[in-house]
Amino acid sequence: MSTDQKGKRLSVAERLGMVNFRNQGRSDARAHIEVDTNICNTSCPHKCTTRVCPAKCYTLDEKGDVHFQFEDCIECGTCLYACDQGAVTWKYPHPEEGRGVNWSLG
Amino acid sequence: MEEKFDCIIVGGGIAGLSAAMTLARGNARFLLIERGEFCGAKNVSGGVLWGSDLARLVPNYWKEEAGFERFVNHRRLTFMDDQSAFSADFKSNHFNETPYTGVTVLRSVFDAWLADKVQIAIDESDHPEESFMATDILVEEVLQEDGKIVGIRAGEESFYSDCVIIAEGVNNLLTRQIGLEKEYVPADHVAVGVKEVLKLDESRLADRFQLQGRSGLTNEFVGACSEGVEGGGFLYTNRDSISLGLVLGMTDLKEKEKTPYDVLNSFKEHPAIADMIAGAETVEYSAHVVSTGDIRGIPSEIYADGVMIAGEAAHLLLNAGKAIQGMDYAMRSGILAAETALEAKSRSDYSGSMLSNYRKALENSYVLKDMKSFQDAVHLLHQEQMFSAIPDMICDFGRQFFTIDGEPTAKASSMMRASIKRHASYWDLVKIGLKGARAL
Repeated sequence: MSTDQKGKRLSVAERLGMVNFRNQGRSDARAHIEVDTNICNTSCPHKCTTRVCPAKCYTLDEKGDVHFQFEDCIECGTCLYACDQGAVTWKYPHPEEGRGVNWSLG
Repeated sequence: MEEKFDCIIVGGGIAGLSAAMTLARGNARFLLIERGEFCGAKNVSGGVLWGSDLARLVPNYWKEEAGFERFVNHRRLTFMDDQSAFSADFKSNHFNETPYTGVTVLRSVFDAWLADKVQIAIDESDHPEESFMATDILVEEVLQEDGKIVGIRAGEESFYSDCVIIAEGVNNLLTRQIGLEKEYVPADHVAVGVKEVLKLDESRLADRFQLQGRSGLTNEFVGACSEGVEGGGFLYTNRDSISLGLVLGMTDLKEKEKTPYDVLNSFKEHPAIADMIAGAETVEYSAHVVSTGDIRGIPSEIYADGVMIAGEAAHLLLNAGKAIQGMDYAMRSGILAAETALEAKSRSDYSGSMLSNYRKALENSYVLKDMKSFQDAVHLLHQEQMFSAIPDMICDFGRQFFTIDGEPTAKASSMMRASIKRHASYWDLVKIGLKGARAL
């Protein structure tokens, strides 16, 4: 936490730094969301998840290809609804083997 | 077959806990399963819990230190343009009376507190050893036999019951699994909520927002706060923090190619907001999908043989412009589902036709009555003018009306005409005015 946030725009990384995740130390956590980025990168006309995901789990590389990582996912469900291309498969994260969020305030 | 519960509740949010409290008081044997580390660990809301059902579940809850943050006796609706804010403001001592009509909550705190109350109710029931609340367990499957829901599977273990209440929240994967909701639900009737909780010393908070004791302010915003995206903002006072956030229509957010975190940053920089949060420090950032309150978003059915869907898993929510009601709907629907389960138990009939009483009870309650009668208001709020032209026009008028600059002052009516001309048309306003008059 910074001591003075006045006038400072918080980045997504700074915001996610305040979030507690489950099994944070686990390097082999099981993914609860699977994204078929083939669909994103061949036929999707909008790649909207790269903008609407509040945790920026979907990113674009310099070639304009979509990449996904589940580790920062705060389980909001936005991509579950936003992706209309059938690329996103959602499960609830497993309490012991998965990742996912553990809110302090909520 | 191993011993069966009367009911299994999936989800320890407000809907699930309200169902559990009702079942415990009705001396039913039940199992509540929550996948979070504790009840509330996965839950996010704005959040104001409206209505008085909390007093039914936890009588005299206002006498306790824990649980809710503040009761609401001061409400404000603010229209914003880039630089200005024009508010309708209402504060009343009537709202100081208990049971309160609204309380602010932080869900990880509130739900955990409510779960403790449910455990006390279990301990005081006829079957204290036969009802359980289990956290940190994931329900992976809802079990069906011969077209009837008979229980759930968590990992290797299956648990059986006469009925299941699914209260899993808006990302309703289990509801989809049993076919009461389509496999893919489009974004049309949901929004993205993003929020920061900002800490501010309790006495500074009280001074800044003119709070006395545990009184609180709720402030909703419409206009520049959402940068042209359908939706609006909110600011709620907690005990020693502020909940500040936005609810953005998902389809419109997609089409306008905005990102929720950048819009939230701009909202925080609006002069009216910057002044209210000055010196407060962000301690948590959260986000969640939220239903928009469009009745077309409700699943095709909310019950079947042996199962009922409660809370936002059934997309029960209303935002008709005066408040976002989701948690009170969760509470009432959880209570009604549990009451139906108790009735089914007394008649040993858990068929779909018996459980259709849940649907009927919801239809007869304020939940579906209000959702139905305020649909026009819900649709009106989604009109482009409502979050752009009209707030701009109102602020434009405000700036003229409140300006004293040594020049002859125009009459308010001509100022209004000028504002309308700049931002909208009379015809648009007449249409919206008529719609609004009918809708509210």
